[in-house]
Amino acid sequence: MNQQQFSRRAFLMMTAAAGAVAATGGIPGVSAAEGDALKLWANPGVHKVGARDWSAMASQAGIEIAATAKSARADESIQKMVVGDGNKLFDAVTDNGGGMEDALASQGVIAPLDTSRIPNWKNILPVYNEGGPADHTIRFEGQVFATPMIANADSMSYDFKALGFHPDSWAVLFDPEFKGRVAMQNDFGPTMTNTAIYLKESGIASIKDPSNMEPDEVRTVAEFLIEQKKKGQFRTFWDGFQNGVDLLASGEVLMSSTWEAISLVAAGRAGDKADIRYGTMKEGHQIWNNIVMLTKGGMERGQDQAYYNLANVYLSPWFGARTLGGLGFAPQMTGVESYVKDHPEDFDDAMQERILRILNSKNARYAVKGNAWQNVFPKNLRAYTDWWARVQAA
Amino acid sequence: MASHPLLRHLAGEDGIRRWAFYVPVAFMVLFFAVPVALTLVWSVFERTIFWMEPGFTLDAYVNFFTSARAENYLFSMIHSAVAVVVAFTIGFPVAVFVRRRVPTAAQHRVILLFIIPFMISELVRVFALRPVLGRNGLLNSLLMKIGITSEPITVILFSNLAVVIGDVVSFLPFMVFAGFLAMEAIERYVFEVCDDLGSNTLRTFKDVIVPLAAPGIFAGSVFIFVNSIGVALVPTILGGPGAVNAGLMVNQAIVALDFPLAMAISAIMMLTLLVLLFIGHRLFDLTKILQPIN
Repeated sequence: MNQQQFSRRAFLMMTAAAGAVAATGGIPGVSAAEGDALKLWANPGVHKVGARDWSAMASQAGIEIAATAKSARADESIQKMVVGDGNKLFDAVTDNGGGMEDALASQGVIAPLDTSRIPNWKNILPVYNEGGPADHTIRFEGQVFATPMIANADSMSYDFKALGFHPDSWAVLFDPEFKGRVAMQNDFGPTMTNTAIYLKESGIASIKDPSNMEPDEVRTVAEFLIEQKKKGQFRTFWDGFQNGVDLLASGEVLMSSTWEAISLVAAGRAGDKADIRYGTMKEGHQIWNNIVMLTKGGMERGQDQAYYNLANVYLSPWFGARTLGGLGFAPQMTGVESYVKDHPEDFDDAMQERILRILNSKNARYAVKGNAWQNVFPKNLRAYTDWWARVQAA
Repeated sequence: MASHPLLRHLAGEDGIRRWAFYVPVAFMVLFFAVPVALTLVWSVFERTIFWMEPGFTLDAYVNFFTSARAENYLFSMIHSAVAVVVAFTIGFPVAVFVRRRVPTAAQHRVILLFIIPFMISELVRVFALRPVLGRNGLLNSLLMKIGITSEPITVILFSNLAVVIGDVVSFLPFMVFAGFLAMEAIERYVFEVCDDLGSNTLRTFKDVIVPLAAPGIFAGSVFIFVNSIGVALVPTILGGPGAVNAGLMVNQAIVALDFPLAMAISAIMMLTLLVLLFIGHRLFDLTKILQPIN
């Protein structure tokens, strides 16, 4: 079945089949004991759609999936895959693009991909083409090692009800009028990159590449944040999904640099007390993506075809529409708009409107000139962490 | 029965039964001594981009002391020390009260009540302080309702004060338990003598109870101090922008794949604890904690 031909009826049939198997003692896609199942190390919260477990993803791919929950911590992946037994345990692993594929490929623990075996590769967004702004997030030394699954341009959440206007610049975050009512992420990567984008694009500082700064550029950004912190501009730096949601939903801060998913959940939790929205900043945003990679062990065990089947699902509008409508992650393929319109049985009018609205705002955010793609391991990483320690100590 | 002389010596005449005593030793070696030794060794390894390789360099220690990390560590120690003082001020009188005023048969049951908070996840306990201390939280709502303040007090959340409050709430039972155990070791006639000699409550507390219970108070203080500098949760959830403690610094070094630095900070934490224990032992003779209660 073509991914784009997938229908609600087929989905119901497959879930019914899954239910029948579950009732007789096994649920496809979730049992770690499955001998031939693709052993996938992934974040269950954001890397699957369609069902509470992996059954819908498995059905779409025509494979069995034995998934193990994974966090987004880079050190966890490195330890497990490079020095641990990750290659024995997993056939496919997910992580952040723009660094982790380089780390794992350079250590020889993941396999290069033959993209001709992924039919939906033709749908992939043009930014991933060779020479495109995101080509480095899936390639190592010119070879493709990863399939992108989800992405986003991280921006700012704000309470429109309290502010009375729609911020379109990071400058608002540093405006003394909102002293003590703003927050940023407690992570040097996105916080320093987004601040660098603001300083660069607004002409305050000369920064060549906000994703890969030189030590003196890192210093400039850190000193700016230290100055803001000393003035009492920030209420706090948030860390973790629920923490970020609570800050906005409780009215503790009026605006915060956040993930879009946090904004959506905070909006739901705040109810009538606040009108939490997600903006587009004219200076630009850090864009990140999540990728799925085929391990060397998976390749050796002959699980490459299962991997390619799953990668094909990740690049299908079936997945893209659902991840967009669910947690608001950007799909990594073209054709989502027409797919949604062609499947009214799966997407009612309200859901269609929601998906198309988020997609339009996302496209507008992606089009901002100053955007910078995430770099998990910038060349002067030590300078980032050292200066971040100074921001913390200030 | 072991045939080799060394095995015979180790096993002794009791044979296999005596081996049972070596199990805890083996456990401590495997799960305490070896990890500590590895921490020290890895802290002087050479850092590579994604991992580390054998070598000898003090780079991680130099980085710690020449970056703002030493400053952060010092702040973390100060906050932890304040948390210890507050916990002592609140927790030890509770222990004294239970020991002196609650009927003997009920004392242990009352003390056990302090275990109840430990049955709740620490994350939940700490996060639950947010709706209490927040701008629109219970405390501010109450203060504004009764007219004590007209605007929310913001310094009680996302601040150093909030971190101290979080540490005290999280670790107070350590002071109560240790204080109570220390109080149990003090004979009841001591209090009767104080009463007979006309010593008032404050003087009895200051000049008799605290000196006699000092080893227990110190033990409780060490537990609180170590947790306060090591548990990353509290500054993450309640601290101000970029609030850190030593545990969070280790965490952040690991996330940045700077493993030797993470090991060096851990080694410095261990050294800090050893120094504390040495001082405590010199001042209070900590072996008294282990003496049986008559």
